[in-house]
Amino acid sequence: MTLSGTEVRTRAAAETTPPASPRRGLLGGTGSLTHRPGTGLALVLPAVAFVVTFVFVPLIFAVYISMTNWPLIGSYKFVGFANYASIAQDTAFWKSVLYTLLYTGIVTLPILVVGYLMAVVVRANRRGSTLLRTIFFLPYVIGLSTLSFLTVLEAQPNSGAINLLLKALGFTDGTTAWLVNGPLATGLICALVIWGVSGLTMVLLVSGMQAIAGEIYESAEMDGASWWSRELHITIPMLRRTIAMSLILSVIGSFLAFTQFFVLTQGGPGTDTTPIVLYIYQRAFVQLQVGAATALSIVLVIVVALISAGQFWLLREKD
Amino acid sequence: MTQVVDRPTRRGATPSRQVPVGRPRQESRVKVVLYLLAAVLSVLVFVVPLVWALMRSLQPNATITSAPDLSTFFKLTFDNFRGIADQGHIPRAVLNSLIVSGGTAVLTTLLATSAGYGFGRFTFRGSGITFGLIIVTLMIPFQAILTPLFMQLNAMHLTDSLLGLVLFYSTVNLPFGVFVMRTAFSSIPTELEDAASIDGAGTMRTFTHVLRPLVVPGMATTALYAFLAAWTEFLGALTFLTRQDLYTLPLSLVNLQQGAYGQVNYGYLAAGSVIAMVPCVILFVALQRFYVAGLSAGAVKG
Repeated sequence: MTLSGTEVRTRAAAETTPPASPRRGLLGGTGSLTHRPGTGLALVLPAVAFVVTFVFVPLIFAVYISMTNWPLIGSYKFVGFANYASIAQDTAFWKSVLYTLLYTGIVTLPILVVGYLMAVVVRANRRGSTLLRTIFFLPYVIGLSTLSFLTVLEAQPNSGAINLLLKALGFTDGTTAWLVNGPLATGLICALVIWGVSGLTMVLLVSGMQAIAGEIYESAEMDGASWWSRELHITIPMLRRTIAMSLILSVIGSFLAFTQFFVLTQGGPGTDTTPIVLYIYQRAFVQLQVGAATALSIVLVIVVALISAGQFWLLREKD
Repeated sequence: MTQVVDRPTRRGATPSRQVPVGRPRQESRVKVVLYLLAAVLSVLVFVVPLVWALMRSLQPNATITSAPDLSTFFKLTFDNFRGIADQGHIPRAVLNSLIVSGGTAVLTTLLATSAGYGFGRFTFRGSGITFGLIIVTLMIPFQAILTPLFMQLNAMHLTDSLLGLVLFYSTVNLPFGVFVMRTAFSSIPTELEDAASIDGAGTMRTFTHVLRPLVVPGMATTALYAFLAAWTEFLGALTFLTRQDLYTLPLSLVNLQQGAYGQVNYGYLAAGSVIAMVPCVILFVALQRFYVAGLSAGAVKG
C-alpha cells in the first residue's frame, strides 16, 4: 500500500464520511426559491475545470500517446497497437507484475488482521483508547516516504536498529544487509508497510464497529456465545462492506506502490524489487520510451478499475 | 478483549472517562489485563520507533553508523540540524514544501468550498453529471496517468514549477474535498438561508455571514487532508520537478540519502526525516478533534 498515493487517502476518508443528510437528494439542491440555478453551476465550474484539465484530458491524451512511439523529447510517429502488442513479450514488465502480485499477496491479509486487532483494542471507550487510536494512526499520517528514509538508517548492517534487535533476540548476528538482497528487502518493505498503514484499516473498522447496536451482542452473550463466535457471527458479517472497502483500498494501494521501493531499493538488486509503477516510471523517464510506458499505464488503469469492480462484486454477492 | 457490548452499561455514569479497573462488575479482570497488555505492546511497537527516530536525529553520523556503544549512544547534540541548516538544501526544500502544501491546502479548500456550496445548496441542470465527473476521478489513480500528465503540464509550462505542483495536488485532493463540503453544506437547514435572503442578503453575503461559520469544520478537514497529502507526496514531485532548487522535502531527502549533496550523512538524513515528520504529527494531534468534527459534518441539526 502506498501512502504517497493521495488518492488512496482520499478514498479512505470519503468512506468514513457519513452520507449527506437524508433531507436532500443525492445530488444536492435545496429547492430554495431564492437560489438562481446559474449561480450553482458557476460555483461548481472551477472544480470541474480542474478535474477535466488534469484528469480527463490527460487520460484521453494517454490513449493517443500509447499508440505512438513518443520519446520524451523529439519527434514521434503513430504506431497503432504496436505498443500493446509488445507488452506480451515484455518480460521485465511481467516480472514487475508478478512482483507486485507477490507484494500485494503478502501484505493484504496482515494489514486487515493487524488493523482489525487494533480496532478491537480501541473500539470501546476505555481510558486511553483515544490516545491509542491516535498512536495507531500516526505512522499513516507521517507517510511512507518519511518512514522509508528512517528505515534506511535502521536497516544498516551492525548499526541499524532492526539488526540490533534481531541480534539481541538471538536470531541473527546483526550483520544482515537488508536492502541489497531481494527477498530480505521485500520482507522488510512488507513489514514496514504493514506497520505503517494498518492504522487506516483500524480507523475504517472502528467507525463500523461502533455503529453496531450493543443489544445484538447482549443477546448473543445471553445465549452463551463466546467472544470469538460473537466476532465471527456478528461483527465480521455486519462489517462486511467496511472490510471490503479496506481490502480494496489496501489492494489498490499495493498495486500502485512506489515510494517505499524507490527509496529503499531503487528496484534492485537488478530489477528484483521493481513493482509496476516503478517499472513504468523507469520506462518513461529513464529510458524515455513514453509511448510504450503509457500503453502500460492504460493497462494499469484498467486493472485497477477491474479490481475495484471485482472486489465490490465479490464481497456484495452474499447480500 | 474489549467489547462493544460493554458500552451501553458503562456509558451510564461517565461517557468518556471509563475506569475499567474500578468497575470489575461489568468487566472481567482478564479483559482489563488484556487491554493493558495491548496498550503496552502498542506503545512498544508504535511509539518507541518514533522516539528512536527522534534520538537518531540527535546523534552524529559516526554514532548512527557504528555498533552502539553506551558511552557515546546517549550523547545527543543538535549538530545534525545545524549541519543541514548550513548546507542550505534542506531549509530550501522545507520552504518549497511549505509553499506547495500551504498553496494546495488553500486552493483545494477554495475550490471544494465553492463546489460544495453549489452541489449542496443549489438545484441546477447538469449537477448530476458534474458531480459524477468529480467523484469518478477517485477511480483514476494519478500514478497511472503520470506520463500524459507530465506532457500536459510541460505544454502548459507547469513542470519545474511549484505552481504546477499546487494545481496538480489540488486536483488530486479535490474529489474528497468536494464530497466533504457538499455534505457540510447540505446538512444546513434551508430556513437559515431563507431568513438571510428575506433580510436581503445575496449569495455571497449569505455565504460569508450565515453559512461560512457552519462549514468551517469541513473546510478544516479539507485543508488538513490537502496539506498532509501534499507534504508527504513523492511520485508526482519526482516526476514534475527536475530543478533541485524547487525540490520538496521528500525529494531533497532522496538526494541526501543518495549522496547528491556530498558524502552521505545519516545524521542529516535522520534530522531531515524528523523535520518531515514533525508537522504531520503536530497537525494531526492538534486538529484531530476538529478533523473528526468535520468528517461527521453537520453543524446545526435541523
